[in-house]
Amino acid sequence: QTTVSGTIMDSDGFPLIGATILAKGTTVGTVADLDGNYSLTVPADVVELEYSFTGYETQTVILSGQTVVDVVMSEGIALDEIVVTGYATTTKRQTTAAISTVSTEELSAVPSGNVEQQLQGRAAGVTVITNGQPGTNSIIRIRGFGSFGGNQPLYVVDGVPVGGIGFLSPDDIEATSVLKDASSASIYGARASGGVVVIQTKRGSKTPSPLKISYDGLVGFSDPGEGQPILTPQQDADKTWEAFYNDGLVPGDANFTHPQYGSGAQPVLPDYILVGDRNGVVGSVDLEAERALYNIDANAGGLYQVVRANKEGTDWYDAITSTGVLQRHTLGLQGSTEDARYYVGMGIQTIDGILKNNGADRYSFRANTEFNLGSKVRIGENLQFTYSTQRGFIGGGGGQNVARDENAILSAFRLNPLIPVYDEFGGYAGTAARGFGNPRNPVAERDGVANNQNFNTGAFGNFYVEVEPIEALTLRSSIGGNYYAYNGNFYNRQTYENAENNGSFGYGEYQGYGYDWTWTNTANYKTSIGANNFDVLLGIESLSANNGRQSGASGINPFSRTVDFINLSTITTNPPSSNFNVPQKFFSIFGQLNYNWNDRYYLTGVLRRDGSSKFGSDNRYGVFPAVSGAWRVTGESFMQNQNLLADLKIRGGWGQMGNSNNVDADNRFNLFAQGVGQGSYPITGSNSNASNGFYLSRIGTERAKWESSETTNIGFDATFIGGKIDFVVDFWRKTTNDLLVRLPLPAVTGPVATAPFVNIGSMRNQGIDAQIIYRDKLAQDFSFELTLNGALLQNEITKFTDDTDFFDRSGTRINGTIVRNEVGRPLSSFFGYKVLGLFQSDSEVSSAPTQDGAAPGRFRFEDNNSRDENGDLTGIPDGIIDEADRTFLGSAVPDFTGGLNLKLMYKSFDLTTFFYTSLGNEIYNNSKWFTDFYGTFNGAAVSTRVLDSWTPQNTDTDVPIYESASNLSTSQQSTSYYVEDGSYLRLTNLTLGYTLPAGALGGAFSNLRFAVSGNNLFTITGYDGLDPAVGGSADTDFGVDVGNYPVSRSYNFQVSVDF
Amino acid sequence: PSVLATKAGVEGVVLGAYAQLGGRGNYFGGASNWANGSIQGGDANKGTEDGDFSDINDLVRYSLNPTSRIPSDRWNGLFEGVARSNQALTLLAAAVDDPLLRESDATRLEGEARFLRAHYYFQLQISFDQAPFLTPGLTVEEQQQVVSSSNWDKIEADFQYAYDNLPEVMADAGRANKWAAGAYLGKTLLYQGKWEPAKALLQNVVDNGQTANGQEYGLLDNYADAFNAEFDNSQESVFAVQAAANSGTTNVANPDFVLNFPHNTGSSGPGNCCGFFQPTFDIANSFRTNSGLPFLDNSYNSEANRLKTDFGVEGGDAYTPGNEEVDPRLDHSVGRRGIPYLGWGPHPGKFWIRLQSNGGPYSPKKFVYYASQEGSFTDGTSWTRGYGSMNYNIIRFSDLLLMLAEAKIETGDLAGGLELINQVRARAGNSASILKKDDGSEAANYNIAQYSSFASADEARTALHFERKLELSGEGHRFFDLRRWGKAESELDRIIAFEKQFLPGPYGGADFTTPQDLFYPIPQSQIDLQGSAVLPQNPGYN
Repeated sequence: QTTVSGTIMDSDGFPLIGATILAKGTTVGTVADLDGNYSLTVPADVVELEYSFTGYETQTVILSGQTVVDVVMSEGIALDEIVVTGYATTTKRQTTAAISTVSTEELSAVPSGNVEQQLQGRAAGVTVITNGQPGTNSIIRIRGFGSFGGNQPLYVVDGVPVGGIGFLSPDDIEATSVLKDASSASIYGARASGGVVVIQTKRGSKTPSPLKISYDGLVGFSDPGEGQPILTPQQDADKTWEAFYNDGLVPGDANFTHPQYGSGAQPVLPDYILVGDRNGVVGSVDLEAERALYNIDANAGGLYQVVRANKEGTDWYDAITSTGVLQRHTLGLQGSTEDARYYVGMGIQTIDGILKNNGADRYSFRANTEFNLGSKVRIGENLQFTYSTQRGFIGGGGGQNVARDENAILSAFRLNPLIPVYDEFGGYAGTAARGFGNPRNPVAERDGVANNQNFNTGAFGNFYVEVEPIEALTLRSSIGGNYYAYNGNFYNRQTYENAENNGSFGYGEYQGYGYDWTWTNTANYKTSIGANNFDVLLGIESLSANNGRQSGASGINPFSRTVDFINLSTITTNPPSSNFNVPQKFFSIFGQLNYNWNDRYYLTGVLRRDGSSKFGSDNRYGVFPAVSGAWRVTGESFMQNQNLLADLKIRGGWGQMGNSNNVDADNRFNLFAQGVGQGSYPITGSNSNASNGFYLSRIGTERAKWESSETTNIGFDATFIGGKIDFVVDFWRKTTNDLLVRLPLPAVTGPVATAPFVNIGSMRNQGIDAQIIYRDKLAQDFSFELTLNGALLQNEITKFTDDTDFFDRSGTRINGTIVRNEVGRPLSSFFGYKVLGLFQSDSEVSSAPTQDGAAPGRFRFEDNNSRDENGDLTGIPDGIIDEADRTFLGSAVPDFTGGLNLKLMYKSFDLTTFFYTSLGNEIYNNSKWFTDFYGTFNGAAVSTRVLDSWTPQNTDTDVPIYESASNLSTSQQSTSYYVEDGSYLRLTNLTLGYTLPAGALGGAFSNLRFAVSGNNLFTITGYDGLDPAVGGSADTDFGVDVGNYPVSRSYNFQVSVDF
Repeated sequence: PSVLATKAGVEGVVLGAYAQLGGRGNYFGGASNWANGSIQGGDANKGTEDGDFSDINDLVRYSLNPTSRIPSDRWNGLFEGVARSNQALTLLAAAVDDPLLRESDATRLEGEARFLRAHYYFQLQISFDQAPFLTPGLTVEEQQQVVSSSNWDKIEADFQYAYDNLPEVMADAGRANKWAAGAYLGKTLLYQGKWEPAKALLQNVVDNGQTANGQEYGLLDNYADAFNAEFDNSQESVFAVQAAANSGTTNVANPDFVLNFPHNTGSSGPGNCCGFFQPTFDIANSFRTNSGLPFLDNSYNSEANRLKTDFGVEGGDAYTPGNEEVDPRLDHSVGRRGIPYLGWGPHPGKFWIRLQSNGGPYSPKKFVYYASQEGSFTDGTSWTRGYGSMNYNIIRFSDLLLMLAEAKIETGDLAGGLELINQVRARAGNSASILKKDDGSEAANYNIAQYSSFASADEARTALHFERKLELSGEGHRFFDLRRWGKAESELDRIIAFEKQFLPGPYGGADFTTPQDLFYPIPQSQIDLQGSAVLPQNPGYN
């Protein structure tokens, strides 16, 4: 044996501290010291040394007797970075496709309940619209919104497709790739149209390495921030009087009166808003005498509350929110021997949201192992068990649609601040006191869900065997799947504090389970013939998804309201509900050929044929091809004598992908259903029993077939100045044809029956994705890395049906359409009357086009259209404002999304900042309907915006006159008053970290890092609502804000330890 | 082909067709027509506040347009009924091989399905004046191509088939029988002004009719019991939407009435939500009588004649109801301050009114449940207590009597009409119909008398029209009656002018305009899908 020593430097001459030197084929190795020096005793039979360091190209040096080997490692050109593509892995150098990778460090930087949220701003071309609720689902769209729904990416975790990745612990993830174009994704054929996110979890390395134990801990606090500004009680009373005057009333009129503020020339704030049945009580009250009358149990007779006026004003947003607390702890054990590799991860994450009784917890256990059975066979598994629970969750679509709900967050801006949270004797206070409209006490509402419970248990993973019968041929068979079961119960309060109360105490339970499985068999052969390199993959796959059953029951009137006594047996139950899913089944064959000549010219071809049980036999199979090529310009001889470009590769690709996510597995069938909600009827004349009839629940079709999207992509990857600058840019276009649309059927066919999906529309998305990474060293101890991701997106519906150009979505409380999806426009375009301004005078009203309800101070709409005698639009103004004049007011689809990540490293300190921006999207601020008008719900809380409302004296304003009326010219219709610019720039993350020097603390740790970070520290936006991150029901109905759950500021403390 | 092409299957699908009668949570698609007939007809205003469910403001102000929600909801709800009826007929035709399906069953099932289809088309006809008439067995594509038409003849044919073929007594009280079909056919004829055939048919139904559960048609002693769940399917019920509470869904617990309760009553009143459907000043004043007879010249609204109200009086302030002479039906139809309200004590006035300046001082009273029925005849499983098990009578026997009276008057039999009107008034004046206070005294100064004679056909007609208003107020008929009498514009503009004095907000800009306000617009969304060649818009809406 010999001893080899030397120094390891980077290309700038700085030592690479901690670089690894390994005697190849053994476990013998060492690391470079603070000066980059190393010394290694090399076993006698070893002829190669391998030098590696994170972020640098690994080098192998063949020993031929020398004892001093100095190595200069080149960094940065992450060309040999492994890219996982699901069925295979490749390197950045090899790929011809548009693939973005996201590092685990980036994924775990901003804590959230769901890993998918972390893709926001990290990968160019991935649009992520999410909200602040822990555990929420989000809108994730890769390269635009390619369909009318079901356009979410396919997630593939360790080779197994799965619907969502909320169960994953970010610290368990080793690699994440986003396959954006057909060249990369169409290997997943019929499910790849929305792009593919491929995730590989951690595993032991191929080369033997000792056990490494790592702990990552994070504790964070989130600040709910401020609610929307609303009028103080005195301002509210004064504005109410202003409304009376604007209504044409004068003191003394019968209607010039308010239950709380009196009937005088000036409003008077009462001392008590409710004492028994007396409202607006001015003066003192004998509380002891009243206590005897107090009753908040509707079953015990008339309600009697004593509620003191909160003249200071209740901050309802503050009352329903508190500091959120987040904890995440992950313990990882990773290692390998010659014949066995393993990773075991245990994770705990608990998040208390900023909303009362709201949060999400997850406990996960992961074990990934692989064993050699002799030299030609490997077996392995990746398996995770997860227990998760969501507490007090709000919002449909797994929280994605939370902004669309009339929830407690909206109530906080609707409930008059003169109402206190509690009455004098401990009960809730609310709109039972008259004159405040009908919003419900949101504190009571949130307290009411405190005992609701639910949990979800799941197992996810795969088992596989790999055989290498001959050199370079790998046969692999993997069977994977997902099993989950859930159970929950809920309570409904019998309320007493509201103007409109729940009449009963309710209770219910629900449970269900589901499973999917996927069986994949592949053969992979790699060979080189001279400079010709081949990599062939053939595969066959079958899967079954969405198997499962659900059931539930609920009822009212338990014997005791103590939760310990309540179950389904102790209440009066309704008939239970029960159903099972119709699973979908797939059968697929696929192949991929990668060829390159001398690492200079690359060609990739992909072909996949998918069959799905969703479609009739004539249309069951779809074939999805893709071809792509690349040219490494820097591989040419004429490029050898320049130093600017270290690498330049030009890529181009074309391909087709399919989609059927939107389609139900029973789309083919006409179905009748028996359901009490739609089909029961008390035909016998009973007052308490109904018989169950049948009704047509679904109209089927055999004609539906695959939706197909065709993508073209041209891009280049360039590396400049010795690896200091990476530049990746892709120009792409994606055209989706035969869009599967639930055909809007006229009511004559029976509106209850679900219409089938049929192939009608088409859509085009196009854009530019770009990423620039600039990294440099400013001094030996000071380096930085700047990553800029940006994507321009243009989305346009190009066809709907043969007969119709659009379909609509309606708003909350606003009459009629607010969103119209129309040919020639982006998805989710807002629609309504365009406000030109406010009418300033009666003469303006009379000279303006005829408009129902027009009056000074009300909206004046644009006259831009009319209908002819056939009812067709003419495009010609006709002097009458009617539905024909509604027009497009903006779209929820952003024109540009991007992220900027700046990382500074100085000695042992690192500082990371991450900005995210979304530009060019509008938000439909539906909450203004509730907060900006007196006439929508008289007496509800009102936004401070109305302080600037129109009066004959205050004419230079956008805010209409404050009055009781609600008609076409005020709040009733969809107008541009509700549409706002939703662009924003957010400092999503700022982290300061400190890594202890190697060998500190007596070498007890191999790595120890502390970090403190702030998230969402500031947001620059012109949006008036609570938060501009407004999701919704993608793809045809999002960006509508009724009661959004805000993304709020938070602070975290992190520690990472490796033993 | 289908497991439903059997006797049991068709029975189930026919039941599904019945199930759509109440609209199933659709406020405007149910048969009760509280908004379509009563709000549009001036019986009631929307109530509540201007901004609440503001789609209904279009009815109060007669400002519907093709994109308004109400016509669209109504169209959808009714076509669901049509579709279900036709599905039953389609499956029935395919069920011939089922040995369990006897010919009598097949005839009955066809009769029930066609009765229901005729009902849904009758409702479409009176609201839209046209609709595509669908027949069984059409494909989805063919259904969309059927050109819209007026359908009176097809409605008649369906009811005629049901009248000719349905048994008199049915297995279940909620089913349509021969006499329900006869009554509805008579109504169909009446709506077309076919007076002679209407008179003959209605006379037969009145003389010989019985309910599906075998009771000879008759009036209940107490007028109020026609609106009491405990008297569902009585002799007065010709055909009703059946309702049940706590059956597993509030969709059969009068979901279209759920908003129509006093507001903010706490546990001291019914429903507790949401203050809609408040009777108008005009309808309340209409119950004023003069020596027991109504003010047929509409002078009931004059300063001298109108009812005293608590409009503008705070809930806690003293108030005594007036002592004017009134029809006893007033206090079964209109909730007013100081008068006993269904066992919940005296109506407390403004305490139960959401916003007097928007809805006036009155509360709805028909279709509201009694205090004693809370929990037993009401369904507490949903967000409010206002789901009840009271049937809504699509045709009530007194309605039938007045339809016959109308046919008689229009064919010159004034005496015959007089007798029938007096029969209705006699019941209203029964001692059982008189509302009493807890102490047994009459709750107000009730005085109702019978007409002695009609001097002319005009006088008889006026009395008949007024009687329908009083007897059937709030039951969804008024607007359709006014229109077929050619009085919609004059009556409704008169009512608007009167209500506007008190409620300038909700009636601001209200104006009944002929012809467009006579019928609903065809929903623009449907025209967009089917084209204006198949589905032309109604006059005045383009």
